[in-house]
Amino acid sequence: MIAHLVAGTKRLLGLHRPGRSLVILPDDVFLVSFPKSGNTWTRFLLANLVHPEQAATFANIHRLIPDPSVTTKREFDRIGRPRIIKSHECFDPRYPRVIYILRDPRDVVLSQYHYHRKLKRLADDSPLEKFVARFLAGETCPHGSWGENVTTWLTSRHNDPRFLLLRYEDMVADPRRELTRVAVFLNMTPDAQRISQAVERSAADQMRKLEKAQSDQSSLTKDSRKDLSFVRAAKSGGWSSELPDSLVEQLEAKWGHIMTFLGYELATSKALSIEPEMVSFMPDKPR
Amino acid sequence: MIKRLIAGGKRLFGLHHPGRNHQVFPDDVFLVSYPKSGNTWTRFLIANLVYPDRNPDFSNINDLIPDPEALQKRRLDRLPRPRIIKSHQYFDPRYPKVIYIARDPRDVVLSEYHFDIKRRAIGEDYPVQQFVSRFVRGEVNHPYGTWGENTATWFYTRHNSPRFLLVTYEALQSDAVPEMGRIADFLGIAADKQRIAFAVEQSSADRMRELEKKQAHLWSSTRETRSDKPFVRKAKAGGWRTELPESSVAEIETAWGAMMRNLGYELAVSSLAHAGAE
Repeated sequence: MIAHLVAGTKRLLGLHRPGRSLVILPDDVFLVSFPKSGNTWTRFLLANLVHPEQAATFANIHRLIPDPSVTTKREFDRIGRPRIIKSHECFDPRYPRVIYILRDPRDVVLSQYHYHRKLKRLADDSPLEKFVARFLAGETCPHGSWGENVTTWLTSRHNDPRFLLLRYEDMVADPRRELTRVAVFLNMTPDAQRISQAVERSAADQMRKLEKAQSDQSSLTKDSRKDLSFVRAAKSGGWSSELPDSLVEQLEAKWGHIMTFLGYELATSKALSIEPEMVSFMPDKPR
Repeated sequence: MIKRLIAGGKRLFGLHHPGRNHQVFPDDVFLVSYPKSGNTWTRFLIANLVYPDRNPDFSNINDLIPDPEALQKRRLDRLPRPRIIKSHQYFDPRYPKVIYIARDPRDVVLSEYHFDIKRRAIGEDYPVQQFVSRFVRGEVNHPYGTWGENTATWFYTRHNSPRFLLVTYEALQSDAVPEMGRIADFLGIAADKQRIAFAVEQSSADRMRELEKKQAHLWSSTRETRSDKPFVRKAKAGGWRTELPESSVAEIETAWGAMMRNLGYELAVSSLAHAGAE
């Protein structure tokens, strides 16, 4: 009851975090991904692109690209429109426009494993096999499994003009090209200088410096282990040396058909047997 | 501010309808479908199978197979477990076990059309073609996504999972007893043929029509709607063949042809039988 009263008072004063109850506006753009797929990096890129007057930092990012589970309702009400809002949710029909970031699940699982160690949810010697099993079952976060999250968005919005698909790997390979696509999606004139500045301000080295200075000011890193960093390798393909073959095989057996569709080459041939399913996986054409 | 205080007070006492934000228990089973896909009928079928001694009708169905959008949070939290919960939600990763009822969208749109006349959302002379276009764009029932979004987000994520049971309205219509046998197995209920046949009989369209006549005022979906139009309508599959204009059939099949084929619905517009054709 007391907890209810506190929550009610917070709500009355707009100090609560709206979460799923956020009132969505018709010109909102959502930046969606499964966790640990490069969402924070993309948030910095976008914030630096859209708000060149101030460099994005871990201290101001939740006001530039707000997160309904972190940014308070009162802060939300002060954000200029159109808003770009961060999300890890599975498909939500209320989102008017969506930028969806995809990442190879073999790298996602490693990134999440390391992040959970940093958050002290996992011990250093916690077996990776166990984590991969929970990851496959969708038990490592409240946003569905990797396959579920990706599938709900692709089957409902792929090829839709309201939907932009980005691959983390393409962003690492050529951030300027990918950010240009984002600018076009946001109806901005893709100014090369402005895009270059955004990429430089969001470079891994730059973000590591900011993280060191501001880790206590960000909900992403507050109260976590200081000996492990949030901005880690910032690379793609780490799985090929870090992830044991047997675990690669498990991930590909479950999601190989989605991975193939998305252009991620499989290391094992097992998943190819469910390839035909892929034919019927996607809706025929955009609406 | 006053509105917020009232809402806050209701929330404090658990008198609000929790909707999508209710708590999910690990032993919950969800009966999910897009609206107008036979959810109420299936609710009666399952209630008559699981709780035959409670004589399920429109006055108590919400206590037997609760709807979080029509039941107070306090009551929802106090229901005996395991709960079987009604839902029209698009994919929700929290749902542990799901019975998903799919129905041919060409019939769903007609059913929705008649229901919207009954509840005065549209007039009797509203053009069907225009209604179908709005339906395809997701402007009817928008909190649940479009038919394609709702069905695809469940089907493609869970169809191979032992925690998911796909039932089509059409199969329930033509083979109610074996289909209910599958549902009983999924629920872990040892039900013999006789018990299943009884549940099917108790949930027949004629019996539900009788109950509706007596109890329409007791149920949230029929209360304050037009009494000259029934909620339990034809209770049949395939009405679209005679009632739906060809151009509307084409519009639906263009939007969702692939999904429909995956569910076993034959397409009527031959040029759409191949993927991608306009």
